[in-house]
Amino acid sequence: MFSRRFDMGVKVGGAVVGAVAAIVFLVGYFGVRNSVADVGYRPDQPVPFSHKLHTGELQIQCQYCHAGVEASAHSPVPTTQTCMNCHTAVKAESPKLKVVRDSYESGQPIEWARIHKVPDYVHFNHSRHIRAQIDCKSCHGPIEEMGVVSQFKPLTMGWCLDCHRNPEALIVGARPISGVFTGKLHAVKDLLDSSYIFTPIAAQVGKSTPITVPQFGSYDTDIPPLTVAGIPHPKKAGIGPENCSTCHY
Amino acid sequence: MNVRKLPILWILLGLLIAGFTTLVLAGQIPWFSKQPPLEFLYNMDLTFKAIPQSGNTFFADRKSLRDPVAGTIARGAQPYALGMGDIDAAETENVDPNLPMTEFVMARGQNRFNVFCAACHNYDAKSLSKLVKRGSWPGIPDLTREQTAALSNARIFHIISAGQNLMPSYADKISVTDRWAIIRYLRTLQGVVGTASNPSAVTTQAQ
Repeated sequence: MFSRRFDMGVKVGGAVVGAVAAIVFLVGYFGVRNSVADVGYRPDQPVPFSHKLHTGELQIQCQYCHAGVEASAHSPVPTTQTCMNCHTAVKAESPKLKVVRDSYESGQPIEWARIHKVPDYVHFNHSRHIRAQIDCKSCHGPIEEMGVVSQFKPLTMGWCLDCHRNPEALIVGARPISGVFTGKLHAVKDLLDSSYIFTPIAAQVGKSTPITVPQFGSYDTDIPPLTVAGIPHPKKAGIGPENCSTCHY
Repeated sequence: MNVRKLPILWILLGLLIAGFTTLVLAGQIPWFSKQPPLEFLYNMDLTFKAIPQSGNTFFADRKSLRDPVAGTIARGAQPYALGMGDIDAAETENVDPNLPMTEFVMARGQNRFNVFCAACHNYDAKSLSKLVKRGSWPGIPDLTREQTAALSNARIFHIISAGQNLMPSYADKISVTDRWAIIRYLRTLQGVVGTASNPSAVTTQAQ
């Protein structure tokens, strides 16, 4: 029916197209995905909340709204009550805040669109990273410049391991940036303050049970004399950041 | 093959490779998307379980965190019993634990003050924070003024815990010990020693 030449062309052409598609997929999936996958996910939120305004201009510290992140695996999305701390008086009639007011009256939580998400078989713990003095911005990017928050880092396992295998290149000495630890935003100076945290969980006060090593101090034991240069290396501190069951349990 | 089509093909291929290379090398945000990221193994990635603060279709109101029975007290939580107006009771009820003046207590107090108080009262407690200036809120008091410095620790604890005027209660956000640490730190900003309570009620003095 078709000429032999045409038949051959279809076969060879199909093989070439298939091979190119396979290469593109492999490169795209294993090469590009690791660095750009999920990055830039910027969904519409039910309330047009601006981190740029609240954090960047008004200098409200992250933990004011995300209170409890230092003590909990899950970084809490603020309750409507937290919004209403100020917005009962500030812009109380703003139409943009109607969703917040309705939620406050009905008790039905606002359904924010979740941006940062690791698979359900990964157990990421915020408090451990906060106590290890990892800055919020290391993973979430320059939140104080984002009018609408988007994902800044890929949150893939390869990306986690980049840091866990080679922390000295990415963390030690580079912290802190935004002042999670001093409570002062963007205060790069006075790095010594960063060693002044933690054991904040109420249950630990009085018992001083170390959850992470090293212990940075508690209400019972004073801060060990630390300098920035003396912050122990995570691996030497026995944190075991490459153990599978650290995250997959 | 048509000779004239060849260059176009090569140019397209070159652009494609260049584009990929740029994406890989940059590793930055190449685009913004409102589409949720692709889940390749969504059976595993999104298991049907309750995740804190996530919606859950199992319940009619979609709250995966169920409302506790009325009157429930969370483990370790120490709810504050007094209301905003119980000023007199506050002087006797709130017993200063006399936290030691250690480096940790001061640093912890500073940290909590900067997080929760500085939004309005500013880092120096003079209440001219960016938020206050922008909103030009009237009546947020300078915490270093004499009237405030003269308040007892128990009274300040009461204000943090129960709120006062515009200020809401922070009992749910700041733990009890942290509140006393904040007061310790605030005293250094005020430059006063401070009394634990009204002299008539409790005799212990802050260090």
